[in-house]
Amino acid sequence: MHPTESAIHDYVDGASDPFERNAIDEHLVSCAVCRQLVEDLRELKRAVGTLEMREPPVRAWGRIERAIKMDERDRPRAAFLAGTSLYWLAAAAAVILATVVGLRVLPGRSAPNGEEAAEMSASARQAAEAIESELRLAESHYENAIKGLEAAAKSDQDALDPRTAATLQKNLEVIDQAISESRAAMRAQPASEPAQQSLIENFKTKIALLQDTVALINEMRKGNEAGAARIVSGLKNKG
Amino acid sequence: MTARQQRPPLPFPSKEATVSPEELVAQCQAGNVEAFETLYHQHAARLYTLACRMAGSPEDGEDLLQEIFLQAYRKLGSFKGDAAIGTWLYRLALNHCLDYVRSRQAKMNKLTDTLDADTSIQPTARRDTPIARLDLERALERLPDGCREAFVLHDVEGFDHKEVGRLLGIAEGTSKSQVFKARMKLRALLGKA
Repeated sequence: MHPTESAIHDYVDGASDPFERNAIDEHLVSCAVCRQLVEDLRELKRAVGTLEMREPPVRAWGRIERAIKMDERDRPRAAFLAGTSLYWLAAAAAVILATVVGLRVLPGRSAPNGEEAAEMSASARQAAEAIESELRLAESHYENAIKGLEAAAKSDQDALDPRTAATLQKNLEVIDQAISESRAAMRAQPASEPAQQSLIENFKTKIALLQDTVALINEMRKGNEAGAARIVSGLKNKG
Repeated sequence: MTARQQRPPLPFPSKEATVSPEELVAQCQAGNVEAFETLYHQHAARLYTLACRMAGSPEDGEDLLQEIFLQAYRKLGSFKGDAAIGTWLYRLALNHCLDYVRSRQAKMNKLTDTLDADTSIQPTARRDTPIARLDLERALERLPDGCREAFVLHDVEGFDHKEVGRLLGIAEGTSKSQVFKARMKLRALLGKA
């Protein structure tokens, strides 16, 4: 009976125990098939020992040097952005979020639905108009914050690998679509609380995604892979 | 003193010879790209060879080499000199290659368990000439993903099965079976079956 293939490999590797080794030695005397296998595996082992190192193409260093120079050029800019404008923008966005969330939870200020609006008194209508005006103001604050974050994210997007950038872009498009739909709902029913809530939620989502994008860019620039991986994982979880 | 007795002029020392590994690393850490180029030329062949064999193609190997050295340039600041710079670079390269292999496997969702079903390898007619180095390099590239990495790590790079298992995230026994399968595939590809 032939030894198992695995036992032959162990034999060639010198990993068989003495008993097994003796048994295979005896078998090889009378079995040409197994003898050939052992010879071939030894020949392969010998050939592996002759493998030489491969020289990279001459252009390889040029590619690396260019990548290093781009990295060097972008790093100070990223550090500056991280220390100043991007963090300021993120903080500004957070302040705006807090303001608008605060505005929405003020007692007695929730907007009436369609039926209630029809029965509104003049004073109630005035209150609803005041909310709308505050919402418009909040919307413009959101849009300014988004504009700043978008510019920062776009200008440094080359720090991201193309797949991540494409995924982020796709997510932003989905959110933009949702914002457009919320706006359309607001136009149709300006006093509708779900429409207002949906618009604000979509703005918050967009700002959060842009903040994550900017943070991811900063981590990539710093070469902090663990930090970048944490943000990407957070993005995936949100997705 | 005759010309014959004159001491021959000392060869002009090359930059590499005058700079110790520690000095070279210090220069690289200070952002000296020329010093980094010297470091690259000292270690590129070894890391490129590893990358090509792990990835299974010179094109992917070249891309990996670029990523490895860019990462090394960024991370050199954290190199404390606990190990030789070559060892540090090798570990960094190996980890990078393993990340690449893992992400490619995840992408293709194709584990080496499918190796037995693989029909792309047609045995070559038996040849009794010794295995040529170039033929072996080409045959290595044709090995299926999974068993190629295990073979390269065990038979070429010299890791034991326990280490291969740890590096590839597989059991020690799986490492053995992958290496054995790779050898049998190579035997067929090289006309030894």
